[in-house]
Amino acid sequence: MTMEHPVNRRWNMRQRDWAVVFWIAFLSAAAGSFVLFGLVNPLDMVSQWADKYDIGVRLAYGLAFAFLYLVCLLASALTMFMIRTGPSRGHARGKGGQPIPKVKDPSRSNPDLDDENWQ
Amino acid sequence: MSQKKDAGESLYRKEPKVYPRDVQGRFARLRQLAVLVLLGLYYFLPWFNFNGHQSVLFDLPARKFYIFSLTFWPQDFIFLTLMLIIAGLSLFFVTAVAGRLWCGYACPQTVWTEVFLWIERFVEGDRPKRIKLDASPWNANKILRKTAKQVLWISFALWTGFTFVGFFTPIRELGHSVMSLQTGPWETFWLLFYSFATYGNAGILREQVCKYMCPYARFQSAMFDKDTLVIAYDEARGEPRGGRRKTDNPEEKGLGDCIGCTLCVQVCPTGIDIREGLQIECIACAACIDVCDQVMDKMDYKKGLISYTTEHKLSGAESHVFRPRIFVYLILLLTLIAGVLWSINNRVLLRADLLRDRNALYRELPDNRVENVYTLKLINMDFKAHKYKIEVVDNQDFVLFVSPDLQLEPEEVGNFILRVQAPVSAGRGSKKIDVRLSTLDEPIIERIVSARFLLPFK
Repeated sequence: MTMEHPVNRRWNMRQRDWAVVFWIAFLSAAAGSFVLFGLVNPLDMVSQWADKYDIGVRLAYGLAFAFLYLVCLLASALTMFMIRTGPSRGHARGKGGQPIPKVKDPSRSNPDLDDENWQ
Repeated sequence: MSQKKDAGESLYRKEPKVYPRDVQGRFARLRQLAVLVLLGLYYFLPWFNFNGHQSVLFDLPARKFYIFSLTFWPQDFIFLTLMLIIAGLSLFFVTAVAGRLWCGYACPQTVWTEVFLWIERFVEGDRPKRIKLDASPWNANKILRKTAKQVLWISFALWTGFTFVGFFTPIRELGHSVMSLQTGPWETFWLLFYSFATYGNAGILREQVCKYMCPYARFQSAMFDKDTLVIAYDEARGEPRGGRRKTDNPEEKGLGDCIGCTLCVQVCPTGIDIREGLQIECIACAACIDVCDQVMDKMDYKKGLISYTTEHKLSGAESHVFRPRIFVYLILLLTLIAGVLWSINNRVLLRADLLRDRNALYRELPDNRVENVYTLKLINMDFKAHKYKIEVVDNQDFVLFVSPDLQLEPEEVGNFILRVQAPVSAGRGSKKIDVRLSTLDEPIIERIVSARFLLPFK
């Protein structure tokens, strides 16, 4: 079957993975900001340095969200990296790759190793 | 294949358990030494005192970190951050020069796993015995050995957890409260949690931590080049491998120097075959070098069939220690170390914060003078008590009154009320003043803080 209209793929695998990383980190940071500011008044947070830098409530919200977003991004991106770069056998990459190394009694085909306590 | 997938078969394959065989040799001795030194520091440092406090203590409630003669206050945490960066850079530098030295000798995962393995070997015997024991049905011997191992493991893990908490709560007090079962909720939680983590990581998970959980294992290859030390099998010399007698001439039999005893696989703590080439799972512990050298000795062959080498050396090219990246890491590292040492040495052991009283802008006094009130917060970061004097820099118009007296005990934080008075003629609106605080005794510790002084606008 010939393809008359080849499908234009918009994003490749890596780009999609990055998009997921950014989006999930955003959602997590948003949820985190809700919970954080449900418990803490941003004005209390800034009063310590309010004298030096008068940052205001909106900027306090923004900074906290930016910080949470950064942390979530870091976690999210590191997770993607760890899953992508795992050892080739056994884990997320599935079966295949190198077989489990075979071992045997060292003295089986090497009689001269017999007197050593290799057992 | 696709049918199998549709049938819902999992692509996950369980890893076989690794039973590392005991190994002796120079690199094994080096690791034993590293274990003794590092764990010795970990378990015994908190018991030593220094300058009247625990030698290393991270006092979280008081927000003070003691590291020998240094005390870090919350304002000094930049130094701790810099020290972490230095530690990271050192890791990069060492990795670029000598590969995964950290993984093989110094990583807590390696060090604690080593101790758990010693215990396991002591109770259950070496590899063949352990395999046999695991395969055997449950009988009195197996129950006894497995129980003994668990008891030893758990005791050791609990001691580890106790020591960990001892870095955050003075360890002697902690010892008393543990003895009388009166530890606080957080102490109990962290003691048990860290013990559990030690037990789980060093007893159960072991090589899987390095293979699947450790980020350093994944990105360390970015620091590698063809001159970095790696552990490699000399394929050109070893292949084709095969069994033989010592008296056989390998050339006649068409064999290389590898006798196929598989001891390198049996000693490997991550269960790989180094003869397959460089693998991400290899933590460069050099156990295979030690055991292979012994076998080569036994066969009267030259040592070093498996050895610390570089990719360049293996391919017959020349190896270089000094490369651009080494210099870059080294210069960054030395600059940072010098900077941190300089700034720690030159830090002022007095912190001062001057906050305006927010309730009133200023107060007009009857004699045509104006008064502003401030809260002065002082932290004496020194190990000695001090008295301080206070003055406004280069301005005689201002008169200062402080209550109570400006004196602080060692490491004391004090709050004072500072009243500053000036004639109305001193200016209009807002005026910046610099307030100098200095100790009365030598050597002088001095700090200058700025504040705004408010005067009538009219």
